[in-house]
Amino acid sequence: MATTTLAPRATVYRQRSWVYEWLTTTDHKKIGALYITTAFLFFLLGGVFALLIRTELAVPGVQLIDPETYNQLFTIHGTTMIFLFVMPMMTGLANYIVPLQVGAADMAFPRINALSYWMVPLGGLLLFSGYAVGGAANAGWTGYAPLSAQGGSGLDLWLMSLVLLGFSSVLGAINFIATIFKMRAPGMTLMRMPLFVWNTLVTSVLLLFAVPVLTAGLMMLFIDRNYGGGFFDPALGGNPVLWQHVFWFFGHPEVYILILPAFGIVTEILPVFSRKPLFGYKAFVFATASIGALGFSVWAHHMFTTGAVFLPFFSFFTFLIAVPTGIKFFNWLATMWRGKLRFDTPMLFALGFISLFLIGGLDGAFLAVVPFDFHVQDTYWVVSHLHYVLVAGSVFGIFAGLYYWFPKMTGRMLDEGLGKFQWLLLFVGTNLAFFPQHLLGLDGMIRRIVDYADNPGWTALNFTSTVGAFLIGASVLPFMWNVFITLRHPRNAPDDPWDGNTLEWATTSPPPVYNFDALPPVRSERPLFDLKHGAVAAHGVALPAARGETHDETRADAPEEVLGEPVEGHRPQVEAGEVTPEVSEEAPDATPHEVRPKKEADE
Amino acid sequence: MPLVGLREFVVRLIASTPTSTRWMALGFLLPLIALVSACAGQPQTAGSDTPPGLFPVPPVTEQGQLTFDFYPVVFWIAVGVFILVEGLLIWIVLRYRRQPSDTELPTQTHGHNVLEIIWTLIPAIIVTGLFVFTVNTLAQVERTSDSTVSPDLIVDVTGFQWQWTFEYPLQELSFTGAGTDGPVMALPINETVRIRLHAEDTDVIHSFYVPQFLYKKDVVPGRVNEFDVVVRDPGTYAGQCAEFCGLLHANMRFTVEAMTRADFDAWVTEQQQAEPTAAPPPPDATTVALTSVGIVEGFDPTEISIPADKPWVVELTNTDTAAPHDFSVRGGNPDGSDWQGDPDAQAGGSATYQPPPLPAGTYEFYCSLHPNMIGTLQVGQ
Repeated sequence: MATTTLAPRATVYRQRSWVYEWLTTTDHKKIGALYITTAFLFFLLGGVFALLIRTELAVPGVQLIDPETYNQLFTIHGTTMIFLFVMPMMTGLANYIVPLQVGAADMAFPRINALSYWMVPLGGLLLFSGYAVGGAANAGWTGYAPLSAQGGSGLDLWLMSLVLLGFSSVLGAINFIATIFKMRAPGMTLMRMPLFVWNTLVTSVLLLFAVPVLTAGLMMLFIDRNYGGGFFDPALGGNPVLWQHVFWFFGHPEVYILILPAFGIVTEILPVFSRKPLFGYKAFVFATASIGALGFSVWAHHMFTTGAVFLPFFSFFTFLIAVPTGIKFFNWLATMWRGKLRFDTPMLFALGFISLFLIGGLDGAFLAVVPFDFHVQDTYWVVSHLHYVLVAGSVFGIFAGLYYWFPKMTGRMLDEGLGKFQWLLLFVGTNLAFFPQHLLGLDGMIRRIVDYADNPGWTALNFTSTVGAFLIGASVLPFMWNVFITLRHPRNAPDDPWDGNTLEWATTSPPPVYNFDALPPVRSERPLFDLKHGAVAAHGVALPAARGETHDETRADAPEEVLGEPVEGHRPQVEAGEVTPEVSEEAPDATPHEVRPKKEADE
Repeated sequence: MPLVGLREFVVRLIASTPTSTRWMALGFLLPLIALVSACAGQPQTAGSDTPPGLFPVPPVTEQGQLTFDFYPVVFWIAVGVFILVEGLLIWIVLRYRRQPSDTELPTQTHGHNVLEIIWTLIPAIIVTGLFVFTVNTLAQVERTSDSTVSPDLIVDVTGFQWQWTFEYPLQELSFTGAGTDGPVMALPINETVRIRLHAEDTDVIHSFYVPQFLYKKDVVPGRVNEFDVVVRDPGTYAGQCAEFCGLLHANMRFTVEAMTRADFDAWVTEQQQAEPTAAPPPPDATTVALTSVGIVEGFDPTEISIPADKPWVVELTNTDTAAPHDFSVRGGNPDGSDWQGDPDAQAGGSATYQPPPLPAGTYEFYCSLHPNMIGTLQVGQ
């Protein structure tokens, strides 16, 4: 019997190209980065569309854009900003941060995670390919039937794009729910989870219940359009109002899907920059959960003027949402009350969020007043309201989160000066762009029109709004420049630059592929705070701790006993002053991606 | 001297404020200044065209007045909440900023049950109160379902892409808008007018909105919505479709003219007598048959030809069951302006047009209601 001895193969460590690496990655951090980058590109695209819209509306008359192009512009602007910017951006941030905050090595289903991501650029491609087939979707982002049953194949592409993006969201939601329920660090009970994790959990549950309804509606519309179905066609016994029910049963929870993660980000940032624990942790959790639950009982407040809904029910529940939202506002204020506030860029964005989202919340309560809604439904009041929620809310929250976690993701601190400049432009721009729209709505200016009457005062307000929109557009430039120059600089971020409370600051910046060498014990919702200021947490005594700007200096200055029990396996952090590029470069925890250039240099 | 004290306080406040806080203050103030100057710069015009402000446009109907009277309640509560929260926020930002000398952690407060219950209950009480007022106002605004109210006048409104038809069933009058000049709805003041909103099954959703009514209601295919309105003030009020309905949504305008009962009766008589009587076409006129198929499909045929400088007649058959159409010629008037056909061929109906004789050349004909429906008109040598 012949025996063949296989010569042991030489183990060749094949260096994969970075393209291959990023295309095939299942690392939640890389997928998070992909999500964030993709979403940001779509943000730029949707922003350019918005600027085109505002340019046309600067003065009355049709100057620049013909009506058909205009209808496509605002349809694609809305769809892009909601489904291709805010949702993937929030998913990206959660993808990067949630496993770190719960102390997991990755998401529960890494490959499904990659699948969820790759559906997003494909969905975007489908949406924009409408322009290649004779015109993109033009029925508004709400796609009201039977108008959406007319129109060309751009609308079919819009439908399929939303189906794909919906699948991506549902898979992502399942992944987050599994990760959060099954992969938390020892000791992290549900009531010790960071609020960002709580908000991601509630958002995921909302997605899981709402998106399939939308998908069903989209398929019905697709059948109506292509196979002679009659779901929404009254000539065939269908009912056009049914589409609105289906759409808004998804669409209103969707609003909370877009805003709850921003609540979570702000709720993470305020305690850290106030050096106080969250005021009323449980109240925050229950407020978040009840906002999510109430979100499913208010959909028809988008349909008050259809004459086909029971008005008082939806009015009452819409009013009711003000209660948990109010709890959040007052608890945010109480968190900062008697704190020691630092105004770094993340904190500025969080404060901007609170001060401006308040306007979006208050003018939303007006819409619960049904007779008043009869007046301002489908006017610029609603445009103003939804942009105060999505720009002043979601966008401020997103930038707060990006500035807050950028050091963790890249090991580099974004420039504070540029960050504050961006904040100022965005803050002024948001108010200039959207506040005048309240007045236009009260005066009866209709939304989704390419041209408006030359009524007294309308031109001035519209022109102001256009100027504001361009300021918002300009505010993105310092951010891009900031990211660009920061990424060219060597690493300068300590592991815990903001004196953070949660587990993501217990690993290196950026974290290794496997996230943690060892986890600190979790005995409260602020495990890292306990580790650093254990005596305070244990005895309620304030001890001399922070003197300077960063936590590292704190640790250098603080007496040994203040730091609490050293935890086994927890790597001591880099001492202040030693945080030089050299140290960071040699840190053993750099991700393989970062190490690679060195290997290539060795060859 | 309090004034000097105040000035000193402001100077000190600015001097002691960290740069970041100054940025924030600037961020608050700039939009405010811009807004105030924008409002101050608005032209004040006479009549009902009040410039936009923080209150809705002044209403001209009894129903709108109810909404208008309720608005300040909500508005001032919102202003109160706004001032409370923003005031607290600004106070916190100024008072509790971290000083370079701050080395200690602040007191670690985790919550306060009584406080939290208070700021849960107070908003809950406020919104419950607002809800009760809302339902009361709503019941008064929407009294249509109350069968005891019998209207003094009924107007049937049909919305279609992209114009309106107003019909007075008892007066046997009907007006259809064309182009961007929508039809006129004459209404007697101080009388209950029931407006019934229709759309053909093959059309899309529209919304009947007159800003000065502070009211709109959707026009839904397969469903008849109706509402009652009592116009109080005589005048001319612009209206518009409020629900996005496709290509020329922005052009779907109309006008409401409210007048006294006497004026209204005179207007009805005048309109009933002014039935258009078309002059018979000259015997040597060329007759062209044309069919309007639909908004998307356009005309059939898309090219027609006629002899130059001769009278001609177009017989338009409208096979589109969804919308009326007409026949218009770009540059068809002797002075070079567009010639617009009147009246429209109603859905499933027909109409005859006599445009002026044209010099030789190539023209474009179109439907003034749907300018995307176009064709070529060859005027022979």
